[in-house]
Amino acid sequence: MESRRKRRRSQLYKWGLYVLLLLACAVLQTTPGFLLIGQAKPVLLLPLALAVSVWEDEFSGALFGAVCGLMWDYTAGRTVGLLALTVMGLCFAVSVASQLYLKLNTLNFALLTAGAVWLVLSGDFLFYYAMPGYSHMLARYLGYIPLTVVMSAVLAAPLYRAVGWISETFKIDNGVI
Amino acid sequence: MKDFFETWKFRILIAIAVFLAGLLLYAAANGRLTAAPQELLSVAAAPFQKAAAWVAGGVSSVWDKYTSIDETMAENEALREENAELRRQLADYDQLKAENEAFRNLAGIQEDHPEMSFVSAFVIGRDGMDAFGGFTLDQGTVHGVERGDTVIDDEGQLLGTVIEAGLTSCRVLTILHPSFNAAGVVSRTWDNGIITGDAAYASEGQCVFTDLSRESMASVGDEIITTGLGGVYPPDILVGRIVSIEPEASGTSVVAVIQPDADVLGVKQAFIITEY
Repeated sequence: MESRRKRRRSQLYKWGLYVLLLLACAVLQTTPGFLLIGQAKPVLLLPLALAVSVWEDEFSGALFGAVCGLMWDYTAGRTVGLLALTVMGLCFAVSVASQLYLKLNTLNFALLTAGAVWLVLSGDFLFYYAMPGYSHMLARYLGYIPLTVVMSAVLAAPLYRAVGWISETFKIDNGVI
Repeated sequence: MKDFFETWKFRILIAIAVFLAGLLLYAAANGRLTAAPQELLSVAAAPFQKAAAWVAGGVSSVWDKYTSIDETMAENEALREENAELRRQLADYDQLKAENEAFRNLAGIQEDHPEMSFVSAFVIGRDGMDAFGGFTLDQGTVHGVERGDTVIDDEGQLLGTVIEAGLTSCRVLTILHPSFNAAGVVSRTWDNGIITGDAAYASEGQCVFTDLSRESMASVGDEIITTGLGGVYPPDILVGRIVSIEPEASGTSVVAVIQPDADVLGVKQAFIITEY
């Protein structure tokens, strides 16, 4: 059983590391030319938010998802709140699903991330590309989304492991065996 | 889980969702992209983005410092420190060199346009979601940048316009975006038209010059410049050269496809015209 001060300090370290990961993901996701293949570039903020929501509870996961979404709104130049709401909802749903129905490991987390990234990017494509009626929609969709989904899913695995390590390292020991 | 929906945590989540929806509606209604919470995030992220952009551009050698220090060099501490110091100096030198070059270019542009005021900026972020090459620059409202300012490259060629200015960074809408509109003219024939983006050409880094009269004598190779009409963009800014001329769908005018002089999709450094 840990003292209250020790528990608080370990929680501070844990969330501090999550925030550092958030900044690192936001920076890497927008670094010009980084992992750019054709038009595709991996999404890192969404896998990170999902990983945190899986390793933490639904409340913390959804809150962290909202912050990641706000950051993504800023970096992608999207109207504030759009991606924040989406990511928040996804994180809540994934956290609840992982507690009740899914037994997640690195591989199926990568698959789950692929589905989530595909969903969010397709929604964004619908609002910002298809609905304005721009031409060459199919070429843009096929040139950007499938490869981005695959790259994001691949990078989701180390993120899942990293978040898992942080979560386990700073886990609160409440004395229950 | 059923109990969770009756807890104060769930009510907080609902309140946050309502708050975000309110922000979204407010931002959409006012034609803005960001709001106060994002301003804070952007201020926190901008220095990191700046650092990452330096690394990606090969100007900084921060990664080199880490990758080159292998275990065998641990045996020679003095040499390693000297090496690290030299690398730091090299990074500083590269940065100074880039800045020096930027200011030399700025001086050249300033000579051509003495009436204009510029802010030098570096590209610190590009998100893959933007199909039209939009990017983030490392200068914001504290540096005098405002929404609507014109952005040019280091040779004075048009890149786009500031669509959103944060405290220490700003977002740029490029000339490849269909929402971009600027009055332009063919420098040889003085035919007027609108410089805008087109999804069909954006991935090639090209934009279009629309509403060009069918009787126009403009031809491939002609240069397009801004007219300054409307007061949004300064006059005589170079845009690019015509690479093809195609009939417009309605047949009432023609569309010229432009190859911008600036490297819109790969630019690393830019100037923001804050006054003209």
